[in-house]
Amino acid sequence: MDSKIVLNVAKEDGRSRLKESYHNAPYKLTHYGAAGLTNHLEMIIMSASPGIMDTDYLHIDVHVKKDAQLKLFTQSFNKLHPMKTGARQHTDVHVGAGGLFHYIPHPVTPFKDSIFKASNHIHLAEDAVLMWGDIISVGRIHMKEAFEFDSLHTQTKIFRQGKLSFIDNQLLRPKSQPIQKMLFFEGYTHQATFVFSALFAQELKYELDEILTVEYNDISYGFTQASKDVVILRALGTDGELLYDFLHMLGQLCWDFTQHKFSERKEDTAVEAITEDEKSKTGEITVIEHRKPRRKSKRELVDAVVVEGTNYA
Amino acid sequence: MNPLLTLMQINDSVFPIGGFTHSYGLETYINKEIVHDAKTAKEYAQTLLEHSFYYNDAAFFHKAWQLCESRATRKKIAELDALITAFKAPYEIRDASKKLGIRFLKLTEKLKPVKRCSAYLKAINAQEQHGHYAMAFAMFAHAQEISYSDALSAFYYNSLNGIMTNCAKLVPISQMDAQQILFKLQPLINKLVGLQPELDDDLIGNCCIAQDIRCMQHEKLYTRIYIS
Repeated sequence: MDSKIVLNVAKEDGRSRLKESYHNAPYKLTHYGAAGLTNHLEMIIMSASPGIMDTDYLHIDVHVKKDAQLKLFTQSFNKLHPMKTGARQHTDVHVGAGGLFHYIPHPVTPFKDSIFKASNHIHLAEDAVLMWGDIISVGRIHMKEAFEFDSLHTQTKIFRQGKLSFIDNQLLRPKSQPIQKMLFFEGYTHQATFVFSALFAQELKYELDEILTVEYNDISYGFTQASKDVVILRALGTDGELLYDFLHMLGQLCWDFTQHKFSERKEDTAVEAITEDEKSKTGEITVIEHRKPRRKSKRELVDAVVVEGTNYA
Repeated sequence: MNPLLTLMQINDSVFPIGGFTHSYGLETYINKEIVHDAKTAKEYAQTLLEHSFYYNDAAFFHKAWQLCESRATRKKIAELDALITAFKAPYEIRDASKKLGIRFLKLTEKLKPVKRCSAYLKAINAQEQHGHYAMAFAMFAHAQEISYSDALSAFYYNSLNGIMTNCAKLVPISQMDAQQILFKLQPLINKLVGLQPELDDDLIGNCCIAQDIRCMQHEKLYTRIYIS
């Protein structure tokens, strides 16, 4: 079955508002909680289907216009049913200047014999910001279906101003890979990738260097500066919910950091405007004072990183 | 010049481009005692060649070689360079590729200047391109009339040799074990070289998640002997 979800968000009167949108069965696109509760827009993709079936194709098309902000949620784990041909999902994302897009869907659970390819093309304007997550489980573990899927291929490409800045390409094919062993899952059953892309990604990386210093017993992770404007974190774990919470915690941390950077930019612009005004009145050069808003303290940030139910090593 | 001797020289593990200073994540594996004896060292090496190197550096070598065969424009070279940069996510791995690439190009320029290699080095120095060792190696080897299969086999061998040398130093495994693994994995290298042209473009840059994580964790290792 071919399905489509289209979502347009634009900023109007200081708020991000839903513009032209479209969805067809079995999907439904609706507000996540009360509309208008926040200045940014929160939407959720719901589905009346028990999961993705053979030959299904879903195209998601998201446009976050200039200065608009969107958090897109999913309803539940994305279940991939047994297949013969395979199903596909393609996501196109366009984030305009000053725009912000946050999308960390629930984990994908591939059932026995499922075949799935997900491709994501994300186009960011010069100063657009992205928080993106991707979590894969290895199947219904308690149904003894771990690593029984046929193939799962995920490909994510991020372009900034048309220039390629990061590609994540992952093909999992248990029948032809030592998938439970070294270099692949190494005894874990879930994997996650979190991507943060912004012009100030390096500053976020410095924050993470100070915050993410503990090792967990049930999650093994690493993070790096993947390019000038991209920081990624990859993790392995044994609990999809835990990884989902971990990624959402990171997403919120990046969201808060971005809002701080945005308000800093606004204040700088305002101070410069006042100074320009004073200069024109007096004809004298005034030193610009950068008044920065209060940042969260290190302690507050570290506390935010504690994921419930996680044991420390 | 003799292509075989040139290949032996540029592929030598002591060819002074700094190859021995990198472990490409292996140091984390040894630090965490996942690689801890000859058996696990072989498992690591075999999986890395077959499921990581084949899709990444060897595939980048193949793409660069194809460009040399087709007398590709500088634009095509720049596109491949940008593509490889986007694939190499862990910072230390990307940086290793750049450092080795620059040193390889500088050194080989003194041995025998190749127009394409000099242009690549110039673009890297001007920060127009990132620079990658796999591309530099393919470009120079191609210009020296070394055959494709010899150059690519040597490229695989050099990577495996690096792993075994590092295992002998760090795990440690005996030199005898290291040499036996090197010899035993010859058929695998032959197989992968044969299969290289068949690799689907869609699978280039395929990432092994744990390998990627171990490379990232290397940035935070308390004691580090290697740069990557």
